[in-house]
Amino acid sequence: MDVDSLSVIKLKNILLVTVPDDPGDDTIHELQTKVLFAIEKYQSKGLILDISNVNILDSFFARTISETTQMVALMGGQTVIAGMQPCVAITATELGLHLGKAISTLDVDRALDIFTDNFKLV
Amino acid sequence: MNHSHSKYLSNFTNWSEQKRFVNFTDKDADFLKLLHPFAVEYADSFVDRLYDHLILFSETKRFLGDEKMVSRLKLAQKAYFIDLTSGEYGEEYFKSRIKVGISHQRIGLPPRVYMSTYCHYMQLIIPQIYGNPAFDIETANSIFLALHKIINLDQELAISAYIHATDEVISRQTEEILEMSTPVIQIWEGVVAAPIIGMLDSGRTQQFMERLLETIVATNSPVALIDITGVPQIDTATAQHLIDTINAVKLLGSQVIITGVRPSIAQTLVHLGIDLSGILTRPTMAAGLKVALDQLSIKVIDSSKS
Amino acid sequence: MGTQETGESPIKSEGDIVTCRKLIRIAATEAGFGMTDVTRIVTAVSELARNVYVHSGSDGVMRWQILSQPGQIGIELVFQDYGKGIPDIEQALEAGFTTAGTMGMGLSGVKRLMDEMDVKSEINVGTTVTVTKWGRAK
Repeated sequence: MDVDSLSVIKLKNILLVTVPDDPGDDTIHELQTKVLFAIEKYQSKGLILDISNVNILDSFFARTISETTQMVALMGGQTVIAGMQPCVAITATELGLHLGKAISTLDVDRALDIFTDNFKLV
Repeated sequence: MNHSHSKYLSNFTNWSEQKRFVNFTDKDADFLKLLHPFAVEYADSFVDRLYDHLILFSETKRFLGDEKMVSRLKLAQKAYFIDLTSGEYGEEYFKSRIKVGISHQRIGLPPRVYMSTYCHYMQLIIPQIYGNPAFDIETANSIFLALHKIINLDQELAISAYIHATDEVISRQTEEILEMSTPVIQIWEGVVAAPIIGMLDSGRTQQFMERLLETIVATNSPVALIDITGVPQIDTATAQHLIDTINAVKLLGSQVIITGVRPSIAQTLVHLGIDLSGILTRPTMAAGLKVALDQLSIKVIDSSKS
Repeated sequence: MGTQETGESPIKSEGDIVTCRKLIRIAATEAGFGMTDVTRIVTAVSELARNVYVHSGSDGVMRWQILSQPGQIGIELVFQDYGKGIPDIEQALEAGFTTAGTMGMGLSGVKRLMDEMDVKSEINVGTTVTVTKWGRAK
């Protein structure tokens, strides 16, 4: 997947990013940078990472998600991971991966619900 | 399918080793070849006689079917019979014998019927060996011995094929039983329940975890109840499997409530030093369901009391 | 396209890690592994290929082979680098040990995803990691 095709979508006070199915390291790096700049630009209070297409999550990707979550928190935002596939969740558990302070939801709708209910953001 | 069967069988039936085991040599192959012209000449009449015999018994008659079927079977039988004296007993022979064995197991033909066919082969061929003026007694004995060896090898293959095919059925059924013993059911909109019966070993846990997670995603359920009432005892390994499952469910964005924690299980967990403090647990499935419904802000009202 | 029974792929850049993952995803799927096993295998590939890239700095290679046994399908993966080597393999296999600043799951995590694992290493010569995964034939 081409790095340029990664788009960060602004939805009111939050950001939505859809991650491609098999992201390379450069894509993952680019994602982090784009998200942080968008948070600064729009003063966003939240980030939804839609990973429903992602079919591989290794320790590098997990660490980047965990770090991004911390960085977003430092800039005043909450990160929600949406739509992890069952096979990815099983593998991540067996590999012993952690996503840090990121919250998980079943899909983007439920992620939006979290921001509406808990943070009154949307 | 048949191809892969013969491939797997060839892994545990070493054909050339098996031939050496019964002292089947190239000489035996040559002696059998002496019978070949006879086998070709008499194949049709032999097959006809065999089927006239088979049709007399109700057990075999039901496998024969209509006339078209019978003529197809006869053709296959003829080829099988002629092959026996072909003189070529390499990989191809081995594979075709296994294939025939497996297809007979599939239709449920009892192995004793399959084996008795060889007895008919013997009854037909032996008088031809000893009655043929071209063979002196020594040659006749050698041919007889070679025939005995190849038929023995054929029977070994047939039995191996039968056992292999039956093993396949057993392992498939075992898997099905395993699946049935841990059902994952949606019991409310947004709630799935999975009662575990028996011990959780690592193979079973992997299977269970897959089905639980897939059902959670398919039904879009934020709460999953895992009921361990039917787990006789819990050890560190089982507990670790449970914790893995709970963590995987969390990654999906759903929450596990462990229900059916009986007093003896609670005692064991504490004695083993297994920390389930971050995990919601309830003594019964009913209590767990109540928690689940609360979390989903669902109120169930007893209409008789209002 | 039929199943390729064996193959190899160089590991010289970060981009090669994705190439290795894609190759093995196709090979393991065609060999008949289920979705979850394919994910386990591909994730192990990603970890091990990254190890090669990070440790060797220069170059390395991944070789793979489809194995079959009665009623079973299997895949064997070999990762070879010519880097600095692992001084203490047992320590490297312990959970949490890392030298390259990745998450510390490293080899021990990969071991949980696969069925067999063998590590051979010599200081300043290189490291070879061989892993195998078995699955039920369909």
